[in-house]
Amino acid sequence: MRQHSKLHKLIIPVIILFLVVITAFGSFYGYWDSASPSKTCSSCHEITSSVEILAESPHRNLACKECHGTAFSNGMHSLKEKGKMIFEHINGRSDEDIRLNEAQILEVMNNCTRCHKTEQARWLSGGHSARYKDIFLNEKHNKTEQLNFDCLRCHGMFSDLNIGELIGPLNTSGPWKIKINSTESNPVIPCLACHQIHLLGSTHQNPDYSNPQNASYNRITHNPVVSFYNRHDKTHIPAENLPLLEVWDCNRPVNVSSDPIMRNCIQCHAPNGKHEAGTSDDRTPRGVHEGFSCTACHDPHSNDARQSCAKCHPAVSHCKLDVTTMNTSYKDRQSPHNIHWVSCTDCHINGRPLNRQKR
Amino acid sequence: MNPQNKLSRRRFVQMAVLSAGGLSVFARCTKAYSDWRFFTGSEAKLMDALADQIIPPDDWPGGKESGVTNFIDKQLIGPYIRFQDTYRKGLNGIRESCKVLYQNSFESLDFDEQTHFLELMEDGKLTGDLWAGNFDRTFFKLFRDHSMQAYYGSSRHGGNKDNISYKMLKLDYPLIIGQNRYQN
Repeated sequence: MRQHSKLHKLIIPVIILFLVVITAFGSFYGYWDSASPSKTCSSCHEITSSVEILAESPHRNLACKECHGTAFSNGMHSLKEKGKMIFEHINGRSDEDIRLNEAQILEVMNNCTRCHKTEQARWLSGGHSARYKDIFLNEKHNKTEQLNFDCLRCHGMFSDLNIGELIGPLNTSGPWKIKINSTESNPVIPCLACHQIHLLGSTHQNPDYSNPQNASYNRITHNPVVSFYNRHDKTHIPAENLPLLEVWDCNRPVNVSSDPIMRNCIQCHAPNGKHEAGTSDDRTPRGVHEGFSCTACHDPHSNDARQSCAKCHPAVSHCKLDVTTMNTSYKDRQSPHNIHWVSCTDCHINGRPLNRQKR
Repeated sequence: MNPQNKLSRRRFVQMAVLSAGGLSVFARCTKAYSDWRFFTGSEAKLMDALADQIIPPDDWPGGKESGVTNFIDKQLIGPYIRFQDTYRKGLNGIRESCKVLYQNSFESLDFDEQTHFLELMEDGKLTGDLWAGNFDRTFFKLFRDHSMQAYYGSSRHGGNKDNISYKMLKLDYPLIIGQNRYQN
């Protein structure tokens, strides 16, 4: 009986305390969720620099929560992250590097496609829209090259898991299985693999029409749009700051385009450690196309290179042949003349076409 | 969920309590805006001058331009929080010693005079209570080491702006290396 009354005495204060906490927290959360970012998130000193960059970027009209989510979205990640920031703040420390987890990255991607529908459609039609199951359950690949941590550098760079937690077994005999079913259909190369939202930029404005000829001279001369997501550092590196590839064709240095977008491509379509041209996944143009950027022929989102010949070539080449019908890998996948390094001397041995030399 | 990211119950309760407390004090968080996290404006100028002494600009940017001060400022409210007092005391010591020796601030000295002053520091030859116990040598070694970390470390930590040291060293960063290929 005495125990019962003790319990009664305890229950009422607990309920009152609970209601007070819920009301206070609910009001605060309601305000936080609806007020302008300048009065909420961006009033934190820790993220001032990120806020300032966003304010100058083309995405400045997006509210923080549209990409970073609210404290309660994405399960525990946001709550843990924001809680950690407050914890650090109170301890006189600062944690200004906010990292999105993979679920948030995919939500950001949904936001991207609200405006960038054409880019999304092109991306979907190309090789970069591969999903986890397309890449990691490819038997032929897995039997030839053992899955390892470095796979995630270019495929699944935002994965919260390491390779062993993501897929198993890590051997070349299989059978392989993605350990978390919900991951299977997620894209391994989402928009943020090559782009960042807080990108440096300037506000767009109309050219000065009083002198239209000057319009092109007022354009920016750099390309802030592409950034490579470096899984190792969990940060984006603007493509312009990526290293310029030095690649060697035997002892000859190959002329490589300095196009920042190509530097981004090369991060994954790379030669071996010695930078030997044509090794590993290298497709750096040599031969007649040496010095070209990937984007001279390939669309950056779909990777489509069809119809690209006409950008530079007249329909008929010096050989009086239609370049699109010549014996290269552009026309025929089995052709010995890879379009990335086809050279004049492939056909014109000693200055003469191969077919005439036989006569 | 990534097992590495699992929260212990104790850690969760700790963070929840602090978060709730933190939320209630947000409205009173009225710290004046500053370009720096730990340093004052004048300390940051002094740090820039020191950084350019440790890594002088030549064909490539020096310590100041490569963000050494930003790196140290960022780390001092993070992993290097234990060095806060050392920096405050050391920078104050440099300021006071320059006033006595040159009747001028360190930043206003010409490059060779700055170098000479730092050589005295490095050799432990500065005098006065501020430098008791070879603190001059200790502090010199500390900011020299931190400047090197800033210049040659990953830019995500606040230094090595635009990966400038990697470009200077012609270092591929991120590493450019492809996967092994096999015939399809």
